[in-house]
Amino acid sequence: MSSVEPSGRRPRRVGIARIGVYAFLLSAAAFFLLPLWIMVMTSLKPMEEVWQGNILAWPSSPTVQPWIQAWSAACTGLECGGISVGFWNSVRILVPSLVLSVLAGAVNGYALSFWKVKGANILFGILLAGAFIPYQVFLYPLVRMFSQAGIYNSLAGIVIVHVVFGMPIMTLLFRNYYASLPVELFNAARIDGGGFWTIFTHVLLPMSTPILIVATILQVTGIWNDFIFGLTFAGRENLPMTVQLNNIVNSTQGERAYNVDMAATILTALVPLAVYFLSGRWFVRGIAAGAVKG
Amino acid sequence: MAVSTLATASQPARQHRRRRGLAATIALIPLAVVVVVVYLGCMLWTVRLSFSSSKLLPVLDWVGVQQYDRLFANERFTVSAINIGIFGVLFIGGCLVLGFLLAVFIDQRIRAEGVFRTLFLFPHAMSFVVTGLAWQWFLNPTLGLQKLVRDAGFPSFTFDWLVNQEMVIYTLVIAGVWQAAGLVMAILLAGLRGVDEDLWKAARIDGIPPWRVYLSIVLPLIGPMIVTATVLLAVQVVKLYDLVVAMTRGGPGIASEVPAKFVMDHFFERNNIGLATAAATMMLVTVVAALAPWIYARYIRAAGRQP
Amino acid sequence: MRAYRLACLATTLVVAVPTMALAEMRAEVLHWWTSGGESAAVGVFAKQFEQAGGTWVDSAIAGGQAARTAGINRIVGGNPPTAMQFNTGKQFDELVANGLLASLEEAATAQNWREVLPPALVTATTRDDKFYAVPVNIHGINWLWYNKKLFDEAGIQEPATWPEVVAAGQKLAEAGLVGLAQGGQPWQERTLFNAVLVGHGGTELFYRIYREGDQEAVESDGFRATADLFRELQRLTDEGSPGRNWNDATAMVLTGKAGMQVMGDWAKGEFAAAGQKPGEDFGCTIIGEGGYLMGGDMFVFPAAGQEEATPAQVALAEVMFAPETQVAFNQIKGSVPSRLDVDVSGMDACAQKGAAALKDPARQVPTTEMLISPDLSGALDDVITQFWNNPSMTTDEFVQRFVGAMQAAG
Repeated sequence: MSSVEPSGRRPRRVGIARIGVYAFLLSAAAFFLLPLWIMVMTSLKPMEEVWQGNILAWPSSPTVQPWIQAWSAACTGLECGGISVGFWNSVRILVPSLVLSVLAGAVNGYALSFWKVKGANILFGILLAGAFIPYQVFLYPLVRMFSQAGIYNSLAGIVIVHVVFGMPIMTLLFRNYYASLPVELFNAARIDGGGFWTIFTHVLLPMSTPILIVATILQVTGIWNDFIFGLTFAGRENLPMTVQLNNIVNSTQGERAYNVDMAATILTALVPLAVYFLSGRWFVRGIAAGAVKG
Repeated sequence: MAVSTLATASQPARQHRRRRGLAATIALIPLAVVVVVVYLGCMLWTVRLSFSSSKLLPVLDWVGVQQYDRLFANERFTVSAINIGIFGVLFIGGCLVLGFLLAVFIDQRIRAEGVFRTLFLFPHAMSFVVTGLAWQWFLNPTLGLQKLVRDAGFPSFTFDWLVNQEMVIYTLVIAGVWQAAGLVMAILLAGLRGVDEDLWKAARIDGIPPWRVYLSIVLPLIGPMIVTATVLLAVQVVKLYDLVVAMTRGGPGIASEVPAKFVMDHFFERNNIGLATAAATMMLVTVVAALAPWIYARYIRAAGRQP
Repeated sequence: MRAYRLACLATTLVVAVPTMALAEMRAEVLHWWTSGGESAAVGVFAKQFEQAGGTWVDSAIAGGQAARTAGINRIVGGNPPTAMQFNTGKQFDELVANGLLASLEEAATAQNWREVLPPALVTATTRDDKFYAVPVNIHGINWLWYNKKLFDEAGIQEPATWPEVVAAGQKLAEAGLVGLAQGGQPWQERTLFNAVLVGHGGTELFYRIYREGDQEAVESDGFRATADLFRELQRLTDEGSPGRNWNDATAMVLTGKAGMQVMGDWAKGEFAAAGQKPGEDFGCTIIGEGGYLMGGDMFVFPAAGQEEATPAQVALAEVMFAPETQVAFNQIKGSVPSRLDVDVSGMDACAQKGAAALKDPARQVPTTEMLISPDLSGALDDVITQFWNNPSMTTDEFVQRFVGAMQAAG
């Protein structure tokens, strides 16, 4: 791979255009930050102040108590350990589900876009249509299937569910990315005598960094924030963090502490946010060009 | 002209010269199993139940099209269908335009790229249960924007979309775009970064203005990524549920109801699996009808033309 | 050597026997009580059960819908919890019909449930004259909460009828306040509507519509008067009402932005969290004829391949129904005991009012959840919320749609 530095069109000089670029980005940033601002401000206020209700105002007596409460003390039933209780369960679910579903998507996408397999496109069409059904509808038949297969209420069960429901989008993502790459790469590798797996691991995977990042972003978010599958398939011992989050923020008749709700939500989102931030530096340009030049 | 040659050279090869291979067939077996057992199986099961009288638990009796009769007579379902149309067009359009602009602007070798990228993406990381509440507060006339502007000395300022039956659907669009535009940005940015560096060098030598390069060359080049983004957004549109529950609960009245919420409410809250699966079947039929020509033209007919 | 082995074996047996007995008394309980106050209430059950020699395994999932979905999925998947929460009502009918729940006759006979429960709750928890659920509390859902300070300042007396509520609200509005704080979600609009129906239309009309499914009753003058009054209440709300959570509406009352709210007795938890006291800072009353709309919670015990409940299930049901558990639990939960024979003098002023109301059988009115199917209840929600939110919908139109929903959902 050649150029590792991020690069767009190289600007010649700092001018009005440059100012325009930043003005646009900053105003967009303001729009994106608005709800987060409300959430952070609320999470720093005691409830009396939240009830008084200027939602944008800086807290008059800031407190981090809600954050501590959310992380380690809020009750979610009889356990009063906050959302930290399910953190490692979420990690244990996330890692295998992420790796397997992204890998499955990459292999499927590769096979679909460069190879000819009878009936594969019809299968892909059905898969794509399936992505549009609310997946709660799938719950009952899947529970029956899984309990017959003996993987209901287990880590394996929940990982399989994530791989299955990630498959349409992951496959689509890689299929279309590979479709946008120059076909000469593949042909050259074929002429050199590369087989199915050799070409995949030696030619295509190294060129897939940007799309791998997008796939990771999608799956990390989807799997980490999943609630209903984790609740239904993971079993009592493996319940993910979102079950605790839901228990804190979603009570119907109990009194609600919005400051704790907001803190808990932000805390739960920290893992995907960290993944976004860290993976972003692998967004690099010029990969295709570099690979062609070999 | 250098640009046009380049564009042709790196044109996304729609007609790949595909190879048959045993390894490829084996590699696709997991996909086949998932599609047949889970997707096809569950879809058929859903369709079958829509002709049953199932209430809380699935039963396999036969009541003909009774559930469909009730579904089509149901005003809430009609309102849901119209809403999803309005939301779908505006949401997909809004996300694509904003996402593309963000991707292009971020691609200008700006400072703190990572910070901006994460900023635009972060809404995607958060559970809508609570971010929806933050939006609800901000849009609520007695708590949010309207109150703040009025308190700042503009007593006639009015912004009551959230509580206005005619306008409430647009507030869902705003929050939806807020959540998903960053993801479109990431996908299109991946596309932009897959564009050959030489193309920009050539364009610069030819003195073509950047906006023209983006519109006439880059946009077609990243076409498949735009398709990806569109499909992804469309899936979110059809499944739209969390956002509505968090922000409006389908209200005021039934003004912001959507089909997925109709299915969910009847499936789990109202113990009417028959009606819920009938609604889900209608969603499926609509999606298949919309997708079929596209899938056929793009994947099946195209494949059939291979030598 | 042999003696040693025997000794070992004996020790193992001695150790093993109590462990087995304890293992049998293990109960996994699935419920949706997750907030601070609710958790404390559920802790009463757990503590009492452990004192009775059991082991409580807690499975809390917030939100009735999510919890029920998880529970039913586990029943379908053959791995049910020992006990599972439901709202007192008809939601569990099909589970009973399919033989998926264990009968609690043993506990019911031992503790004489039929005698000490209000008849409506016996009806709600028995099928074919057998108990399939233990009701643990009664939530009054048609309470009017009001801010005492605002009422004193405006010179308003505690209202006794619904027209007086409207008058009080108008007076508050003249003072620049919000008359009625209302959360804008269909279940809250349904709660308010049924509160007006039972208090203004009358208990008899309420029964004719919801218990007998009498469509002519919907076309009666009493129902129309209810609808008109409901419309007047809507005019007392502020424009920020749609979509609002119930507790935000309560916050408006307790911070003095609004005068009144109609909500279940769980609203007390919000007042308590803000340090306010019933009778001093806020008032509570039942409006109109006095019908006390009884909602509540019950636990069902999924059958593990047997018709009768297991020892652990029986023990748990008995613990939940024991008088001391009932008092301690409901004191924290904000509701009143489901059994009428317990001493409630230690409970707060509002709970005592509620318990007193329940002494009169004529005032024991079950909520719609116990009378109509979830399907019909949902269909009516759609109609009520449309009427409430669309000021141009006439009473005639409302009546017509209400009847339509009754016909469609049957």
